[in-house]
Amino acid sequence: MNNKFDALKDDDSGDHEQDQGSPKDSEKEKPEEEEKEQIIIKKKMVVPGPGEHPLQYNYTFWYSRRTPGRPASTQSYEQNIKQIGSFASVEQFWRFYSHMIRPGDLTGHSDFHLFKEGIKPMWEDDANKMGGKWIIRLRKGLASRCWENLILAMLGEQFMVGEEICGAVVSVRFQEDIISIWNKTASDQATTARIRDTLRRVLNLPPNTIMEYKTHTDSIKAWEDFHGLVNASSGR
Amino acid sequence: MIGVLLFYALYPLVCFLSRRSPEASKKRDRTSVAVNGTAVWDGDTVTLKYAQSGATKQDQSGETKERLKEPVTKEDSPSPNMDEEPLSAGLQDRRKDAAPEMTEVESAVEGEGEGPKMDDGEKVINHDIMYRNQNEKDQSTSTGDHVSEQRALVALPKCLTVEGSMQETSCPEQNHSQTTNLEMPVISVKETLQASNTDKSKTPEEPASAVTECWDDNIVTTRDLPADGAGNSDFAPNPLHSISQTYRKPDELRGAQTGWDFPVRPGLSQEVSCSLRSFPAASYYTTVEPTVPLKVMWRVWEELDAASESVLTPFTIERASLDFTVMSYNILAQDLLELNQHLYAHCPLEVLQWNYRCSLLLSEIEKWAPDILCLQEVQENHYHEDLHPVLSQMGYTCVYQRRTGKKTDGCAICYQSTCFTEAAVSKLEFFRPETKLLDRHNVGIVLLLRPLVATGAELKEAGPPLCVANTHLLFNPRRGDVKLAQLAIMLAEIDAMIKSCKARGEHCNVVFCGDFNAIPYMPLYQLVTTGELYYQGIPTWMVSGQEDLSYKPSYHRLFAPLWPSSLGISDICQYTTENMFKTDCQNSGTRKYTHEFMLQLRLCPAACVRPQDLILIPGVTDNRPDTSEDVQHYYRFRDRLRHQVDLGSVYKHVLHGSGSPEVTTLHSEGGATVDYIFYTPKRAFSKDQRAYKKSAEKGLKLLGSLSLLSEDLLWSMNGLPNHIFPSDHLSLVAQFQLELDNA
Repeated sequence: MNNKFDALKDDDSGDHEQDQGSPKDSEKEKPEEEEKEQIIIKKKMVVPGPGEHPLQYNYTFWYSRRTPGRPASTQSYEQNIKQIGSFASVEQFWRFYSHMIRPGDLTGHSDFHLFKEGIKPMWEDDANKMGGKWIIRLRKGLASRCWENLILAMLGEQFMVGEEICGAVVSVRFQEDIISIWNKTASDQATTARIRDTLRRVLNLPPNTIMEYKTHTDSIKAWEDFHGLVNASSGR
Repeated sequence: MIGVLLFYALYPLVCFLSRRSPEASKKRDRTSVAVNGTAVWDGDTVTLKYAQSGATKQDQSGETKERLKEPVTKEDSPSPNMDEEPLSAGLQDRRKDAAPEMTEVESAVEGEGEGPKMDDGEKVINHDIMYRNQNEKDQSTSTGDHVSEQRALVALPKCLTVEGSMQETSCPEQNHSQTTNLEMPVISVKETLQASNTDKSKTPEEPASAVTECWDDNIVTTRDLPADGAGNSDFAPNPLHSISQTYRKPDELRGAQTGWDFPVRPGLSQEVSCSLRSFPAASYYTTVEPTVPLKVMWRVWEELDAASESVLTPFTIERASLDFTVMSYNILAQDLLELNQHLYAHCPLEVLQWNYRCSLLLSEIEKWAPDILCLQEVQENHYHEDLHPVLSQMGYTCVYQRRTGKKTDGCAICYQSTCFTEAAVSKLEFFRPETKLLDRHNVGIVLLLRPLVATGAELKEAGPPLCVANTHLLFNPRRGDVKLAQLAIMLAEIDAMIKSCKARGEHCNVVFCGDFNAIPYMPLYQLVTTGELYYQGIPTWMVSGQEDLSYKPSYHRLFAPLWPSSLGISDICQYTTENMFKTDCQNSGTRKYTHEFMLQLRLCPAACVRPQDLILIPGVTDNRPDTSEDVQHYYRFRDRLRHQVDLGSVYKHVLHGSGSPEVTTLHSEGGATVDYIFYTPKRAFSKDQRAYKKSAEKGLKLLGSLSLLSEDLLWSMNGLPNHIFPSDHLSLVAQFQLELDNA
């Protein structure tokens, strides 16, 4: 197995009920998950097929959609998010991707998430809690192309920041679309700068495109400050 | 005495005539010789001796002239025919300023019937000829400063008048003589050859191969001489006289020439383009005793027409540039020769010996002095024992890659250390145990060279890098699929080199040489030169076009994908992962994939099947891959192979003038073009002149190339290898101009 996140890989939908809010809880989870992995054989980790092109990491597609009229909370966010599937090779990636609707064609208030297997697309995940994300706001019509370019670069290890990348998100909103890429260490400016530069290159962004870096702790604070007023999933 | 007379008459004539018709000299149709209207050839023995010219080069012109006349026993005055007819012989003007002569042949003619006197006559004449040669050299030396101006042309009359009867030469060849090459090294080959030639037991076909049709006239003439003493004395002096006259007044002659243009480096060059009969094995001819050396040039340097160039570049911008010469040469590994002896059954044994071939080979390399030398079929022990030591002495730095497997030969690239320095080396082995298709042991080399320019006493790197690639693709005519995969590996490596330069902001020109084992305009060639090949359904034998195997009841066809993606090379002949082969792997072990590569797999069969565990969310995961336009786009190009290296062929595969196909290789089973020098051509630049001025023009300017020969002509020389060309391939030589952008 080439996946560096083998230990975390059993992070499937069965974990939905677990509380992700506390770091301590997350740490405790690890051994449990490892045990689970050994016990639950049916949850086999994805591996590249014969002759396929293995990726450096395994990834998992997620999909989330805001349930209209429901109060936002961590719990509801977690319940709204669905795993679509995991893959280990370029070929397997295309299997999922080509059976999924392009982001630009999604309806409503919905997000696609593509994260390394074992990392949940949540601020509270161990891999994310010290991290942050680059945010690019796109006018309507650009999301499909930009999203594809972004994830191809991520899967193809074009960012060259070691294990820093956690995942990417495309958020379809009413008047605009947002794409973001998450990394582990928000304080690592060299890394975040490198990610920014690579983003500009692979997305072929005009120079005046506004790119914003936001740490997850800021996001959490903002969410807590406006708890109940701001939708939980916004900005994620 | 008659015999002596005959020789005195004969040798100069022969010298003269062989000069005029070198290419025909191997193709002699004796029966076609007409003497006074009667077909006569009774088997007089004639032979050619090949030797390196350029013994000592003292100035002996005065003396030589004296001696030249010695054999002319009765008259000095040339016959008017001889002087004028050369001019009317349809010589064409050919600008060959720097053309060194290719091969010199010292030939000797001897009347069979004059046994006892022969030795004396032979010696005398030998001297005369040698002196004459030196004389020529001296003269050319004296005009050496104006070598480029000098046009020493000697044309032979189509008809010789002897005894008032016109004898039509059987071939309408044009010919010219050049000064002998002063630079030609004296090599022991000469002695070897002489020794072998004097061996009376040598193979009978040699005489046949050594005689030109033009010689026939000559010989006929001289044989007639005894019948008419006056005619003899009148005629005999002519050749020599006219030659020396030619040298004295080249301008005059040139003025009278039309159509041809001659190489004028000190040296003798000749070209004949007459329709010739083939004599693959004239073994029934009687043996021949070699005597007098004659110099013949077989291949001429052809410069690109300057006029057509200037059309492309209406105004020239002064820039520093580097002219360099590239030679590609399959030198026929001795082990392979011995393994496939049936292919060389037509050859005299001595020309198949390695020592002999090696010295010919080295002198050929020395003669053309290529700055970059790409050799194929270089046997490992010969490389280390014979070739590399000499090449090193000649100033070359060499890179050698032996074939994998049991075959003992390989490829080598050698470059002049004073012209280039090495920036990167890639040795490629096409044998990939993990890929079933690539089970053949061929190899290639890709070098990245940087031009060196002398600034003061120092050599400094200057200008854009040059990527030089050399390979010998699989021979097997049926396995076009393997050839394409091997070619793709080469192209991918070249592409990686270009990209590494691009990353530094440099444009990289490419010279891609080798024995591709594929003939012109067939699919493999198309892929190289057009960058694109739609291969779906093509029979594998057709890829190279070496043999038409369509008669076979069943043959394989090409279907996508040509090779598994695990090879790591895409269908645009690029590496799919940057760390696949020692190129640019920063963090080894990282699986990096380019955007383009990822896209290529978008519609691979595995990607078109819906994942079993994919939950169906209407409006989210209910897409179908083959409905989008993108999908159709990718489907369309699945049966296509492309590459992004801009390549054109130096040779045009058809001979100037005659229009017959060029041949780069020949053995008993036929001849064809399979060797190439491909290069990044200079494309006519866009209308944006500003952009043009800013940066050095991309691409190499082709300045000239060494002419190839036709199959007929090679057979007239008794095929390959022979006493002039040491391999079953011909060398390919081209000169390029590389613009140095730091001007």
